[in-house]
Amino acid sequence: MSAGSSEEEGWSAESSLIRPYSLTGGRTRPSRSDFSMTSQVVAAPSVDAQEVDPELELILSVCARPVSVAELASRSGFPLGVLRVLLADLLDRGQVMVHTSGWERQRPDAQTLRMVLERIREL
Amino acid sequence: MDPAGQSPVPDTLKIVVAGGFGAGKTTLVSALSEVESLHTEEVMTSESVGVDDLGGVEGKSTTTVALDFGRVTLDASTVVYLFGTPGQRRFAFMWEELAQGALGAVVLADTRRLADSFDVIDFFESRGVPFVVAVNCFDGQRTHRAEDVRVALDVAEGVPVLLCDARERESVKEVVVELVSLVLRLELSGA
Repeated sequence: MSAGSSEEEGWSAESSLIRPYSLTGGRTRPSRSDFSMTSQVVAAPSVDAQEVDPELELILSVCARPVSVAELASRSGFPLGVLRVLLADLLDRGQVMVHTSGWERQRPDAQTLRMVLERIREL
Repeated sequence: MDPAGQSPVPDTLKIVVAGGFGAGKTTLVSALSEVESLHTEEVMTSESVGVDDLGGVEGKSTTTVALDFGRVTLDASTVVYLFGTPGQRRFAFMWEELAQGALGAVVLADTRRLADSFDVIDFFESRGVPFVVAVNCFDGQRTHRAEDVRVALDVAEGVPVLLCDARERESVKEVVVELVSLVLRLELSGA
């Protein structure tokens, strides 16, 4: 794990329940529900260097380039529930941008599906 | 979102791979994924019974659910994610989340434990999630007939049932092609 192993940060978010949720101040629900498992998250270009908590800094470093919420969880070591709370905070503060595919709400059209079929066959 | 002219942000398609323990979900995902199968976990907390804070959580039962997934980039603007999820009913809270916005699902069946697939098949049927049944013939045992499995699982006529080898990339591609073809047929028929 290269970008942002939680071990390097001197603490671990691994399977302890109490510990990860202590990072969210005990909150188990995000302040907003913008993040599906496949939503793409990218750190906003920072205007001025803000002081951020180490766990948020870790998240921002992993999503320096667009990355899905699931991959972000995998690479940061946070359980999804915890990550969503922290991401919502970052979004509220304008420090990340999020894009959820329209295909989550509506099935892709026939043309897109044919393209997908073609590409999969070419893999 | 405008990532300030940096990396383009792709649109994503989600495919759920459901099956019992040992059915070969992680193997199937790894066979197609361009990255080593990724791993994350969801902690099932008091949240799931509608309580907001974790006060007194020590006394509540919590479950950590491992989630394996893989990524397949089709082009700069299209990425497919494959999520493996356990097929037992007690993991239904994960099915709900994964089924939301999914293109479709693969039910990976193990002929030694076909009954393990009943619950998740019922779930996808009830949610209207298009799915195919892939019978994992590892050990090279292609002794089963897809039609026998169809009868045993009692799936509808329109649901493709096929044999596969979850270790073989080409075989897994066939499974995914079958699923996307099914979704295309549904789209064209206006279903």
